Amino acid sequence: MKDRIIDYIRRKLSVRVSLWVVLFAALIFIGALSLLFFQARESVRQEAVSRATQILDKTSLQVESILNRVEVATDMTEWLVMRHPDVADSMFVYSRGMLQNNPDFYNCSIAFEPYYFEDQGRYFSAYSKHDADTVRTIQGGSDNYQYFYMDWYLMPKLLDHPCWTEPYMDLDVPTNTSEMVSSYCKALKDEEGRFVGVINTSLSLNWLSNTISAVKPYPHSYSIMTGRGGTYFVHPDPEKITRQSIFTQTMEHPDTAMASLGHSMQRGEEGIKHMRVDGIDSYVFYKPLGQTGCSMAIVCPESDIFGGFDRLRRTIIAIVAIGLLLMLFLFIRIITRELSPLRRLATEAETIASGQFNAELPDFQRIDEIGQLSHSFAGMQQSLVKYIDELKDTTAQKASIERDLRIASSIQMGMLPKYFPTGSDRDDVQIYASLTPAKDVGGDLFDFYFRDGMLFFCIGDVSGKGIPASLFMAVTRSVFRTVSAHESMPDRIMDSLNKTIADMNDSVMFVTLFIGVLDLATGRMHYCNAGHDAPLLVGAGVGTLPCDPNIPAGVMPDWKYSLQEAPIYTGTTIFLFTDGLTEAENVSHELFNMQRVNDVAVQALADRQQEPRQLIARMTEAVHSFVGGADQSDDLTMMGIQYIKGEASGKENAV
Amino acid sequence: MKKLTICVLAAVFAVLGSGPLAAQEETIVFTPQWTAQAQFAGYYVAEAKGFYREAGVNVRIEHPSSTQPAMSRLRRNECQATTLQLCQAMEIIDGGIPLVNILQTSMNNAMVIVSARDEDPLKQKGARVGIWSVGFGQLAICMSIMDNLNYEWVRFAQNVNLFVAGALDATLAMSYNEYYQLIQAGMQISDRNVYRFCDHGYNVQEDGVYMTRDYYEKHLDQARRFAEASRRGWEWAAEHPDEALDIVMKYVDREHIATNRVLQRLMLEDVLRLQVDRESKQREFRLRPDMVRLASDLMVENQMLGRAVTYEEIIPNE
Repeated sequence: MKDRIIDYIRRKLSVRVSLWVVLFAALIFIGALSLLFFQARESVRQEAVSRATQILDKTSLQVESILNRVEVATDMTEWLVMRHPDVADSMFVYSRGMLQNNPDFYNCSIAFEPYYFEDQGRYFSAYSKHDADTVRTIQGGSDNYQYFYMDWYLMPKLLDHPCWTEPYMDLDVPTNTSEMVSSYCKALKDEEGRFVGVINTSLSLNWLSNTISAVKPYPHSYSIMTGRGGTYFVHPDPEKITRQSIFTQTMEHPDTAMASLGHSMQRGEEGIKHMRVDGIDSYVFYKPLGQTGCSMAIVCPESDIFGGFDRLRRTIIAIVAIGLLLMLFLFIRIITRELSPLRRLATEAETIASGQFNAELPDFQRIDEIGQLSHSFAGMQQSLVKYIDELKDTTAQKASIERDLRIASSIQMGMLPKYFPTGSDRDDVQIYASLTPAKDVGGDLFDFYFRDGMLFFCIGDVSGKGIPASLFMAVTRSVFRTVSAHESMPDRIMDSLNKTIADMNDSVMFVTLFIGVLDLATGRMHYCNAGHDAPLLVGAGVGTLPCDPNIPAGVMPDWKYSLQEAPIYTGTTIFLFTDGLTEAENVSHELFNMQRVNDVAVQALADRQQEPRQLIARMTEAVHSFVGGADQSDDLTMMGIQYIKGEASGKENAV
Repeated sequence: MKKLTICVLAAVFAVLGSGPLAAQEETIVFTPQWTAQAQFAGYYVAEAKGFYREAGVNVRIEHPSSTQPAMSRLRRNECQATTLQLCQAMEIIDGGIPLVNILQTSMNNAMVIVSARDEDPLKQKGARVGIWSVGFGQLAICMSIMDNLNYEWVRFAQNVNLFVAGALDATLAMSYNEYYQLIQAGMQISDRNVYRFCDHGYNVQEDGVYMTRDYYEKHLDQARRFAEASRRGWEWAAEHPDEALDIVMKYVDREHIATNRVLQRLMLEDVLRLQVDRESKQREFRLRPDMVRLASDLMVENQMLGRAVTYEEIIPNE
């Protein structure tokens, strides 16, 4: 599937371009929106901080104002108490007066050390409490309530300064109702500074609890209040109030964030923490409440604070995502439409490629790149049609030339001797020759004929190849025949031939030529070599016929060619060849060379196959085997002439 | 003065004990020495699971108030059985009120001293140390004298607020109760700021169920059945701690105790651990004579007992 999608994208330019554009647009959007979202989120967070801070400050101020009232009233009563520290009954009056003057206070105790008043026994605590519309005042100490072991009594005594106790639930037994209470306690000291007792004024914290519980800046936020020991005094879960502390859960499931919050609140610090509360990412804002040792915190789930922001963010992301998809769709459509002429051009190109060069191209009437391409394409089509027409003409001309060449080749071949005398035809000589042109027509030639008991023969190689060489070869052969018809010495034949062809040689061609005249009766051979490869004599052994250095014919009309003479013994084969044999190349561009020619001749001789036809067959086979698949680079001509006069008598000759 | 009071109370007991109220079928009011918590799980289980009823004894569990020692209820005949720590029981016997240990549950000492963070209790000479007003902590007083620490003892009713508020340098705590309350209050406790009495030669058994010897002798069968059913309650609690905790929480809620399941679970685990003898690894439910002798020697040496109280004085007569 993935490969199919990638393949589709690779095949569709419109999809690829659209994807790139949309990807680039998406990157810009992501960058811009990330910055925007970050800034917006920070603003929302700041707003939440400021909102929570305001609430905390307001509550804290409220608490402090009421606590101050309790502290001032207690201080004043302490002053009154210490004016008459020895009158036990007056303590009831002061205690009662405190509540009468401050109806919102919960209770008041003025308690003394055991046996402080000699006539009052171990316990003396003037305790007043509101009872319906009146104030009930009693002596509060007893065996069942040994007040001097209570926190409110011990704390100011031990700390040596006034303080607020940890809130506690005061159970009113007759009504079975609980009231959350905190007490302001101050040590009573006599004139010598000795501790004699404690005055304690309590304040119901129910109003505070209600106030804090009602603090709900966000739909799922809630407020808590903890005491010095981390105990919950306000919490949305009533089961936790006074029973659990902020650290309780951490005892079973360690939670460093919660413990850190608890310790901060215990130390009376103010701050904000981002943490998980009951598995929900939340912000906790906290602040101490006056001097009570209590701390208040507002727990706001992150989802509440950032709820609106998150909804906006989701909407924007959705709009952008849909917009990008729409953009992708439209881009693909537009680009596909814009590129549709290209598809038509491609179809037309295929039609033209199939051979219909005159197929009509659409006219898009456009001036853009596609219009230019269309015009170029039309120009190309016209050029192509013209070129194809020219090609047709050229091909026809070429076919005509080839036909002519084939005819020329057959004419050329027709000029060469076709009849080769063998031992059965004559008793003095047997001849065989082969000519394989490199092209249809070649520049090699060979010829022989008999006159006046002599064999006239020649072999030559015209410079160049093809038709010019073949024409030059035809001229050379004609001149050879003409001159040798009345001249029997090879040097003179050569001189005459040289002069004739040099005079008519405007194209500066030349021919290497070997002319020989063999006296068939005696075996004496006169010969003249004009720059041709020296023939081999294959008889008792293999050797090269000595040749004077002469220039090829047709170059210098006045050159005097030398005559040479050699006896040819019976059984000896004169092996003549052109450089097409020695310079035959194999695929590695190695030459067949003279050494191999010699080797083949030696081997043929050893196998008693030195007769012309056999020798040429062996040589042809060897050169074909050497060349292998390489193209024939030059005309290859070989001619063998074996002198066999008197061979029947079994006389052996040596070279 | 103290001795006179105890003598008068003993006389009252004698009179009450011989009266018609001492009949076999009367209800035993049992007062644990503290407010409702997992420290008394076995008794709650015995009552809730009907072990007392099955044993043919009527038992009513009544808790004391925070400043009223359980013993004062026994003295006033407001209850007939109470739990006491061994040292408390010995003090009372020394004071002239013969008591009988009818069931010993604790086999180890649970008391610790916890000092403020990074303070070593053994280096806080003359420190203000909190101690329960209702009379636990005899061994701590002995230790303070013997180790020349001369702590200034501050008696408090209950809870750890004074220590948490910084009014005390250190406080006594039970490893199953106040120790966990301190952790719950955010105290950071390590080996350095905790002194465990059981690890320093003061491993004296604590909780046991006591009756006045007079009452016991007049209600022998009832007392034995009460003790047996109580023991059965503890054994059941040890085998079914989760169900026992459920029962404890019912009592805690009924008594409006400001605690929670986490604290009570930790307390129950620790109390059950303390019931296993260190040497035998068994839940033995017996007083160890060597521990009685150790407690007696320590308290006599530090003038907390007028005379040695022997093992035989505490256990029931055979």
